[in-house]
Amino acid sequence: MTAVSRTSYAPQASRRPKAAGSPGASRGSQGRRDLGRTGFALYLTGGTIASLIFLLPLAWAILRSFMPNDLVTQAPSTGDFSQLTTANYSGIIESNDILLYVGNSLLVAVATGLLTAVIATMAGYGFARFRFRGSGIVFAVVLVTMMIPFQALLTPLFLEMHSLGLTNNLAGLALFYTTFNLPFGVFVMRNTFLQIPWELSEAAAVDGASATRTLVSVLRPLIVPGLATTVLFAFLFSWTEFVGALTFITSNNLYTLPLALLNMEYGSVGQVNFGYLEAGAVIAMVPCILLYIGLQRFYIRGLMSGVVKG
Amino acid sequence: MVLVAPAVALVAIFVLFPLGFAVYISLTDWPLIGPYHFIGGQNYTLLAHDPQFIHSVLFTLLYTAIVTGPIFLVGYGMAVLVRSGRFGSVFFRTAFFLPFIVGLATESFMTLLELQPDSGAVDYVLSKVGLAHSSTAWTVDYGLALTAICVFVIWFASGLTMMLLMAGMQGIPTELYEAAEVDGASWWQKEWRVTLPLLRRNIALSLIISVIGSFLAFNQFYILTEGGPGTSTQPVVMWIYEEAFVQYHLGYATAGAVALVVVIGIISAAQFYLLRESRDSGNRRGAR
Repeated sequence: MTAVSRTSYAPQASRRPKAAGSPGASRGSQGRRDLGRTGFALYLTGGTIASLIFLLPLAWAILRSFMPNDLVTQAPSTGDFSQLTTANYSGIIESNDILLYVGNSLLVAVATGLLTAVIATMAGYGFARFRFRGSGIVFAVVLVTMMIPFQALLTPLFLEMHSLGLTNNLAGLALFYTTFNLPFGVFVMRNTFLQIPWELSEAAAVDGASATRTLVSVLRPLIVPGLATTVLFAFLFSWTEFVGALTFITSNNLYTLPLALLNMEYGSVGQVNFGYLEAGAVIAMVPCILLYIGLQRFYIRGLMSGVVKG
Repeated sequence: MVLVAPAVALVAIFVLFPLGFAVYISLTDWPLIGPYHFIGGQNYTLLAHDPQFIHSVLFTLLYTAIVTGPIFLVGYGMAVLVRSGRFGSVFFRTAFFLPFIVGLATESFMTLLELQPDSGAVDYVLSKVGLAHSSTAWTVDYGLALTAICVFVIWFASGLTMMLLMAGMQGIPTELYEAAEVDGASWWQKEWRVTLPLLRRNIALSLIISVIGSFLAFNQFYILTEGGPGTSTQPVVMWIYEEAFVQYHLGYATAGAVALVVVIGIISAAQFYLLRESRDSGNRRGAR
């Protein structure tokens, strides 16, 4: 059991050199030795400056969202930080119904994540375990759709989904998102099932474990990483998607978060309330950052599987 | 077979059928409401002479040409920084990649605020160092808007290139570098003679992903400039969107979309060809 889970995690060990594993540790010290003291200092300085370039705009946005709106529309100054307030947040909750849009976005993203997980798991298992007539071709067709940009299919999709009653419909949007996440999900889940040594479940059966027990204790730890990768990609795709939602959703009360922000930009009469817009953008941003930081090994695993495949 | 049926059904309904349907629509004068007529290749002939469409194609190409190189170079540099797994590299990697995770739409709204004349952080910082006037209105001038959006996108997308290159760099056996060192190779020589040749597939992949992403640009332009001033910063996807859902010329818009699918298909096919070939030659070399 231990041996198996170690092999299934093996590719990650090299990517998480700070983990307790000795290869990472030796590699780190080796790098320091190569660089020398000055080189290591340069590396740290360069990395820190570069990190600031990437992180400061995001941190600044968070800070800005806590400034009163009249300060947001003035040139930044050091005095700004003494007047922090949550007024923008209470404002968009009260006058812009932001919680409704967060709910819509969450509903679609969770539905997309779950639906992708279920359908991709079924298909991944089917492709990994059974060979049927034409299975190779069907798998190739599913993968090839990864290369078809949905941005270029907006018109036929709109007409088709409209006639099926799926436009202006959050379930329709979730189905659309699920489809365009499936090729990747099926690919990841098929690989996951291909890597499972099935003798293991047979051994468990010989030892008297029931089918459920085999699934829960033996197979679950092997399947969960692939599943987490699939769900994470689908969720983040759905949460951040813009042009599809713009095309297929027209009713104000069905807007997802990016559409609600667009409405705050263009839909408002007169001056845009930039304080509100910034607070809304921060609400859209924070879940992505938390999910990525918490689950990044699954995210990176997904990226790498794409690289290996090419 | 039952297991793969739902996946196949969804792909058939939402990808394969729309693909065929798109070709059909593009041969008609389909309006949003009302009857349509079959007009053959007329939409395509019109496209070839439509200055608006041609401008959006050229603009998209220009934008792609500007951002692809810097995204690659910045991404490569960051990959070099984080690949070793030294102290701090996980933090750096996370920091470099976060803008990509948050997404272009959300960040476009934030950028919109910071590009405002007199109140945005961009003007504030640039006027302090004397590079721009503090009331520069970035989003209403063609050159300024393009500049700002390119810098913004390089900031956004470099992290993905870093990830894709880092994966390849970590796969290169350390023995090769040690051997090169024994031969007295400098850092540059090791990078040029060992890393780059072995990284060919990852470089091709990251460049192609980056180019396709640029060809499909929409969010940043729609949110920051709405294609303006006029339609000067309108990329192809936005042309399709406006033509279809603002002008209601669905047939005509779809003809442009079919052209886009063909171009992206050619790039993707080239990707498969390039990556497969390099893999085969690698195997052959290994076999000898």
